[in-house]
Amino acid sequence: MSFWSKVIAITRKDALSELRTKEIISAVLVFALLVILIFNFAFGARPEAVDLVASGMLWVTFAFAGVLSLNRAFIVEKEDNCLDGLLICPMSREVIYVGKVLASLLFMLIVEAIALPVFALLFNLPVLTAQLIGITVLVTIGFVAVGTLFSALAVNTKAREMVLPILFLPIVIPLIVAAVKASELALAGKSWGELYPWLPIIISFDVIFLVVAYLIFAFIVEE
Amino acid sequence: MENASYFLAAFAVAWAVTFGYVLVLINRQRHLRQEINRLKETIKEKGS
Amino acid sequence: MKRLILWGLGLVLMFLALYLVFLYAPIEKVMGIVQKNFYLMVPMGWLSLLSYFVIFIGSIFYLTKRDRKWDDLAYSAAEVGIIFTSLALMVGSIWARPIWGVWWAWEEPRLTTTLVLWFIYLACLLVRSLTVEEGRGATFAAVVGVIGFIDIPFVILSTSLWRGMHPPLIIFEEGGLDPRMRLTLMLSIVAYTVLYVVILMQRVAIRRDEAEVKKLKGLVSQES
Repeated sequence: MSFWSKVIAITRKDALSELRTKEIISAVLVFALLVILIFNFAFGARPEAVDLVASGMLWVTFAFAGVLSLNRAFIVEKEDNCLDGLLICPMSREVIYVGKVLASLLFMLIVEAIALPVFALLFNLPVLTAQLIGITVLVTIGFVAVGTLFSALAVNTKAREMVLPILFLPIVIPLIVAAVKASELALAGKSWGELYPWLPIIISFDVIFLVVAYLIFAFIVEE
Repeated sequence: MENASYFLAAFAVAWAVTFGYVLVLINRQRHLRQEINRLKETIKEKGS
Repeated sequence: MKRLILWGLGLVLMFLALYLVFLYAPIEKVMGIVQKNFYLMVPMGWLSLLSYFVIFIGSIFYLTKRDRKWDDLAYSAAEVGIIFTSLALMVGSIWARPIWGVWWAWEEPRLTTTLVLWFIYLACLLVRSLTVEEGRGATFAAVVGVIGFIDIPFVILSTSLWRGMHPPLIIFEEGGLDPRMRLTLMLSIVAYTVLYVVILMQRVAIRRDEAEVKKLKGLVSQES
């Protein structure tokens, strides 16, 4: 089997088990909607307030939802002792990383695809523009690149789900800053050119962390 | 010069923390050295 | 012995820097004497970056060579680094108060960057203590160290652009800095760097001794 067919096999395995249980997507989605609801009460839904905090709200929601969903990526495997089985398979560790990244990316994007329109509806915002969708996809890639690595690490520590946010959030702060700023501009109806310089930051973050996490992943799951 | 207090406070904090840390480190190493010597002697006594 | 000489050198340089700061460097006209906090903030900020570089080197070599001594270096740099980063935050706060009238200024990208770095240091230290097996904890800390180091340019870039400022390409603007100020600043940086190196060496030595004690204790309990 080639590298990519093995990767697809892992992604498919995760997608199938998710399709049966629906535990990650449904729980994360409910969580995301609840966060949006709470923000609504916390900041009030007056149009002036929404303009000010909308983009921040969106990214706090997605960052926390990301932590929740990425946490499950490896805990599920650990609970059923599947990780050991996965490690016995005759394939390089990197395959597991890429497969998991794709699966988590898929789950996150599904959650976001549902949460974004709800967000637009509740706050009366022009969310469904090419710019905002593009930003969301790019930033989610960055979240998943770092998150999958740390999720594999956190699952081997004492506190498990407590560890991921402590590691993940400080590292993705630049990404969140860029995402909030770029979405703010996108919500104000700015064109692609005006999103500069945030887009190059997001894209280079994605590329660099995908490569580094890919290279370093094997050290985490050895034995 | 009302600002002088902030200037002095910053240097006081920096020096206090730096040298506090250095003293803690030196003290810790002294204790460790003593313990190493003690353990080595214990091993020697048992061996002979 | 070598360390003793370095301790002496560090101490002399520290006092020399203190002398220059208090008596030699001129008082800035606009900000007044509090501008001299600058001679603390720049070295502290520099050390918190330098320490990350040391962690990065230690982590990379630990991951590839699997030699304990690199982990000792990375761990020590993280601990010494978080001390100096905490100091940078405290001194920065004491500087912000008279200049901007607040203890914390989000407008200042260097202060914000330092805060983010502080959290990454913390992650680096916490992940080790939260892992059961010691060797595994060292590997995890090394991974966080590498990722954290690569994250720094992004943190600096995003926090400075966040408030619409240009990224600080150089720590201090060359032009307009009084030569006496520049000399004082340079000497302060050198003094703190020497101090950092000795403290780091001391910390590594302590970690070695701790391992030695553990080994000897094992021997003693084995024989009895």
